[in-house]
Amino acid sequence: MEVQGLNLSMSALITVAAVLVVYFILIAWFGGFFTKFSKDVNDFFYSGQRFAWWLGAASMIATGIGSYSYLKYSQQGMETGLSSAMTYTNDWFIIPFFMFGWLPIIYFSRVKSIPEYFARRFNDTARYIALVIILAYMLFYIGYNLFTMGVALQGLLGISMYWSIPLVTLVLGGYVTFGGQTAVIFTDLAQGIMLYIAGGIAIIAGLVALGGIGEWWAWLPVTHRLPFVHLFNDYQFNTAELFWGEALAGSIAFTFMNQGFIMRYLALKSVNEGRKACIFNVLFTLPFSAIIVGAVGWIAKSLVIKQAAMGGMLEGINAIHIENYYHTFLIVAWECLKQNALVFGFVVAALSAALMSTVDTLINACAAIGIYDIYKPLIKKNASERHYLIAARWMSALIALGGLFLSFSFIGMKGSLMAIHYKGIMLIIPALVTTIFLGAFWRRFNTKAACISMVFGAVLTFVTEFSPFMTDLLIDPIANFVLGAGLLSKKYIYMRALFGMIVTALVGIIITLVTARESDEKTKGLTICTLEDAKKIYKGSDRLNETLGKKIGHLEVEFDQSLKEDEISVSNKTMEALKAVTEDMIYVEDHRWWLGGLRSLHTKAAQAHNKSDSIIMMNKKTWENGLFLDGKKLKIEKIF
Amino acid sequence: MEKCDCKNKVMVPILIICVLLFTYVFPRFVLSNFDASSPWASYCYQYGFGLITFLIGMLLIFKTKAIKLGRGSETIWLAWLIGGFFLFAGGHAIWIYLALNTPVKA
Repeated sequence: MEVQGLNLSMSALITVAAVLVVYFILIAWFGGFFTKFSKDVNDFFYSGQRFAWWLGAASMIATGIGSYSYLKYSQQGMETGLSSAMTYTNDWFIIPFFMFGWLPIIYFSRVKSIPEYFARRFNDTARYIALVIILAYMLFYIGYNLFTMGVALQGLLGISMYWSIPLVTLVLGGYVTFGGQTAVIFTDLAQGIMLYIAGGIAIIAGLVALGGIGEWWAWLPVTHRLPFVHLFNDYQFNTAELFWGEALAGSIAFTFMNQGFIMRYLALKSVNEGRKACIFNVLFTLPFSAIIVGAVGWIAKSLVIKQAAMGGMLEGINAIHIENYYHTFLIVAWECLKQNALVFGFVVAALSAALMSTVDTLINACAAIGIYDIYKPLIKKNASERHYLIAARWMSALIALGGLFLSFSFIGMKGSLMAIHYKGIMLIIPALVTTIFLGAFWRRFNTKAACISMVFGAVLTFVTEFSPFMTDLLIDPIANFVLGAGLLSKKYIYMRALFGMIVTALVGIIITLVTARESDEKTKGLTICTLEDAKKIYKGSDRLNETLGKKIGHLEVEFDQSLKEDEISVSNKTMEALKAVTEDMIYVEDHRWWLGGLRSLHTKAAQAHNKSDSIIMMNKKTWENGLFLDGKKLKIEKIF
Repeated sequence: MEKCDCKNKVMVPILIICVLLFTYVFPRFVLSNFDASSPWASYCYQYGFGLITFLIGMLLIFKTKAIKLGRGSETIWLAWLIGGFFLFAGGHAIWIYLALNTPVKA
């Protein structure tokens, strides 16, 4: 693959490299700081279900933008214009399923991983089939991200990918291995800000070079202004296939089975906070991210057209020549920043931020699966928390190493990055996505059906990739049905995912209907029909109190050793304001909102005390579990 | 405890047949009214099938009582869900209109 995009001078190279090294060191230090917040294996992976929605949502910004995003979407923006934002703005259709189905199911059932859900909903066979598919999906993403970062660094600095990828992996592996999920969330928050600032700098520089937003829009051809591409003429990027493959299969995969995102939701203090994070993510973060990663491509198109119309270069910048659209982002950013190596180094560091924030989440997520689905059930069942914490750190290092080796396998591959990415994803996801969907939303869907349909769906989808005859026989009719006869070329990328989902669903439904019904007890709390049970199991009580109450702040702590661990007592007036009664679940946090729940815990309401309304009483151990600090006031709210 | 209302044996097959019919007829209807290169063809395709997906989701969460008006803050969430759909659909429609109806220098 030809990756050389820029010819930087030696001094520029040194400056860019220096900015990158400083950035790597700062991030590793920042992530390492959060090591002390992982006291046990639950903290390490899930941060103890305690964070505020905004922290989860903000850290998802960086997780959702990979190192490939800037390169791929700028290229797409240059080729097809604003329609590059399509994949970021078509997720809303599946949100009801997630917000009121999958999210409460996984949160209340306290599953640690998707395979664990399969074990409880079906059996261990289903668990391990799901585990193989999910690890393939996650490792694919880790390897792919590392590889694209290697490509970018080779193009920029001329460093061989065999050196740059291991270096990046070492830094990443370092802070994820020691810091865990808390480190991931906080570094991703910092890197999300970094991504937006750096992307913003590149966009503003481009707009200034063009003469403002009005000029940019005026010079953009109509085809490049539209939010959608042609319905089906380009097999690599067309609206119809994108709907089935990306808006449905891809969005479900990213939202329902991406262990990294799932763990973000599981780290939040309540399902309600998860819903807030979800709405914010889809409604604001994703469209905004589409602009950040694609806008340089949109600007590039206007720049090139205006430049040609003006008969040469534009005032203040060198003439822009983009021979290979893959380098659109780097070339336009470099020229529009007037070859300022320091600022450009910062923008390139954003590329690293994009990589690191995506891969650190995936490494932590894969390690969670490794511990909860392989190590704990199969290797060492009843060890101490400390043992599992050490094992989790080793597992993170191992996964980082696995991703590193996988990234090398991409180096020899032919074809564009986009083709490699989607071909892989559309092959891996359909069977598991469909099984998750049927398992969560159809109570009767049973174990035999889940196991057989997953294997059959996955195998058949793979076979069509390598057999044109099977593609003609099986995918063509589906494409014709959903698009209109004879309208497509015979090449399919996204339609393969629809095929995989249909096959898996058909096999699953037929087997379920012809086999015996399983006991309702087995699905309790694990399907959308049994969410009430899930809440009761989660709370540990048959009584749910979902009346909305107020949040009460500025509470001072008094210790009372007669209270049980993780129990609190407040005055009657405070209980009334909370709309809480004894045994309700109460969330206690440090009063400082900007900590986002870093120092907090879930407790149960004990009998009200007769002291001042501004006093909260708890056991010393409860206070320690919440990581609270001396002299700092607390804030509480009722969960239910 | 309120029981989930999702064991209607008639509604599900009827719904499946309706969705299959829609899936077959709708793209052909779109193509008979718009050229495939028109942005409105793409818009109708995405939001036609998108609306069906969204409505199935809404029907499912209501029938299973996963959402219930008046419980906690779920009425507000419902408003967000519906508002979000129209925000995207409306936003994309305005976007296409502006793209087609503002002057181009190129």
